[in-house]
Amino acid sequence: MLRTIKPKNARSKRALDAREPKEVEDARTAIFVRGTHTGEVVSAAMKELMALKKPYAISFSKKNTIRPFEDASSFEFWAQKNDASMFMVGQSTKKRPNGLVIARMFDSKVLDMCELGVDKFVSMSEFKTPKSTPGHKPMIHFASELFDTHPRYVQLKSLLMDFFNAETVNSICLPGLEHVISVTVGPSPPQQAPSIALAGTQQEDPKNLPKVHLRTYTIKLLPSGTRVPRVELTEMGPSLDLSLRRCQEADPELWKAAMKRPKLKKQDIEKGLGKKKKNMEVDEMGDLRGRVHIAKQDLNKLQTRKMKGLKGRAGEEDVDMEGGESEDEDEGDESPRRKKRREE
Amino acid sequence: MDVSNLLASHAAKFQSVTVEKETPLDVDAGFLTVTDLNPIDEESYKSNLEEYLQSTTRDGIQALIAALYALPTQPSPDGPLAQLPPPTTNLPRAKPLPKPKPPTKWERFAAAKGIQKQHREKKIWDEEKQEWVNRWGRDGKNKEKEDQWIHEVKANADVDFDPVQATRNARKARVAKNERQKLQNIARGQAVREERSERKTDIERTLASTRTSTASMGKFDKKLEGDKKMRGVKRKFDPTEASAEQEKSLALLSKLDGEAKRGRKDTGGDNVLNVRKAIRSVSRGRGGVALGREAGRGGARGKRGGKR
Repeated sequence: MLRTIKPKNARSKRALDAREPKEVEDARTAIFVRGTHTGEVVSAAMKELMALKKPYAISFSKKNTIRPFEDASSFEFWAQKNDASMFMVGQSTKKRPNGLVIARMFDSKVLDMCELGVDKFVSMSEFKTPKSTPGHKPMIHFASELFDTHPRYVQLKSLLMDFFNAETVNSICLPGLEHVISVTVGPSPPQQAPSIALAGTQQEDPKNLPKVHLRTYTIKLLPSGTRVPRVELTEMGPSLDLSLRRCQEADPELWKAAMKRPKLKKQDIEKGLGKKKKNMEVDEMGDLRGRVHIAKQDLNKLQTRKMKGLKGRAGEEDVDMEGGESEDEDEGDESPRRKKRREE
Repeated sequence: MDVSNLLASHAAKFQSVTVEKETPLDVDAGFLTVTDLNPIDEESYKSNLEEYLQSTTRDGIQALIAALYALPTQPSPDGPLAQLPPPTTNLPRAKPLPKPKPPTKWERFAAAKGIQKQHREKKIWDEEKQEWVNRWGRDGKNKEKEDQWIHEVKANADVDFDPVQATRNARKARVAKNERQKLQNIARGQAVREERSERKTDIERTLASTRTSTASMGKFDKKLEGDKKMRGVKRKFDPTEASAEQEKSLALLSKLDGEAKRGRKDTGGDNVLNVRKAIRSVSRGRGGVALGREAGRGGARGKRGGKR
């Protein structure tokens, strides 16, 4: 636990205030940590992933004795000290060669972790193609049905989305979209598909899990004759083939606390967020439109043009319906007056 | 006239921008993310991996770009700005939600009276200087009276009345009052928090007592889900050995003794015997308590010896 700092001047107070929790959060800062031994492949992969993550990336260039799945106290310390909430640890051991651990924090505590093995790595420099501008937001593409069904891949998707793109922005410059990060899972082995009951055993043996292919492309927009341009991709690098290894699921209570959403503002509800408001919708022009339901109209009471001929005589009406007496009397009073006016 | 040729050449020039998949793509425009939940085509995956990955990604990104271009835009110097909808994917937060601040006394009063908060500019227009000056702070407008070179003084003022000092004192008093009110607000906020925690412990205590208030002391009650196991107060007993008892009473005695000694030291300073020094020398520097303990043990041993 770090000591709590009391700000002594306005600048340090501002800096501390910037670290306070916010309703709409900033992008997650990631720390890239080297373990006791990182091979050539892992350190190169980390360097290039960091290039994609910049400017929200901090590099720890020294070696650290760290075993994320056994003792996460260093993570907690670093997270608090650097105001970071993601970690990428590169470590290569005899048992687990070329390992990358992605860890996610909540409130300076480890939320969940996933270890990936780098099977193949092709550097950015090996593709002689145009590169994207550093700091631009990437688009992310996930392809596989497993991202919706298999818990390991659901977690991986969530981690990668948090890693590359977790900042909520109101608007984005369309010409500024330059690159794509594509994550594809290999075809699932046939024995995996039918049995859900086996999922537990498969989790214990990560070798059965299909590989993950991470590719990075730059996009080129070509005119298509319509408003929407046609997209062409060029591989930019880095490209990694990853295999899933160990993982640590989030503690349910911590997860629940992390998934708490702020109360929606009235403005957002009108936009159609949150609980659906009945009879209210925003049309294409952005105008709020309401629908009003009224009771069925009684056409018998509809006031049409008044004509003398349609009126029954006073005596007749008394016999027919007694409820309408007063009205009739009123009208009876009025008619001589009108006559008078006309005469005048 | 046959236009089919023209149309065909036009179609060839522009490739299609529509994407058709078995399962429709899941586009989250807020996070610029698209998820393709179609199963992987194993044949093309095995025959030409890179090409297959690129083509699936292209299709997905085409759908995402189409979704982005359909959004309302705003012009900007760098190009059109697409107004993104809020993201549909729920990702965990990095920090807990900010806690609401307790309202100050004024804020509560203003809310009750329906007083709207008005924004107060920090700068204020100075007619004499013809420029914007600070409302407070360096060269602030609130120090104007103190800085002016001539002052109006009432006829009945004291002889040693200093108008500069008087206005300065008034300003300092205002600052002090504000500071005091701020501290009071903080204290009030804390009191509310303490009250809440107190209420919480109160409720817990009541709940605990109701749970043990049945004939079976809650043993055969229906257990509710989420009910925590009751933890009573564990009673602690002192050891029943004679030595421990003796030690305790001796400690008490020596404490009393120490108090008496302290009193004596105050009254009579020039006694013949320096008791503290004597105790130190007798107990070989370990103090009166140790000596008493030793004496007690010696006595016990003596007794036992007598019995034999």
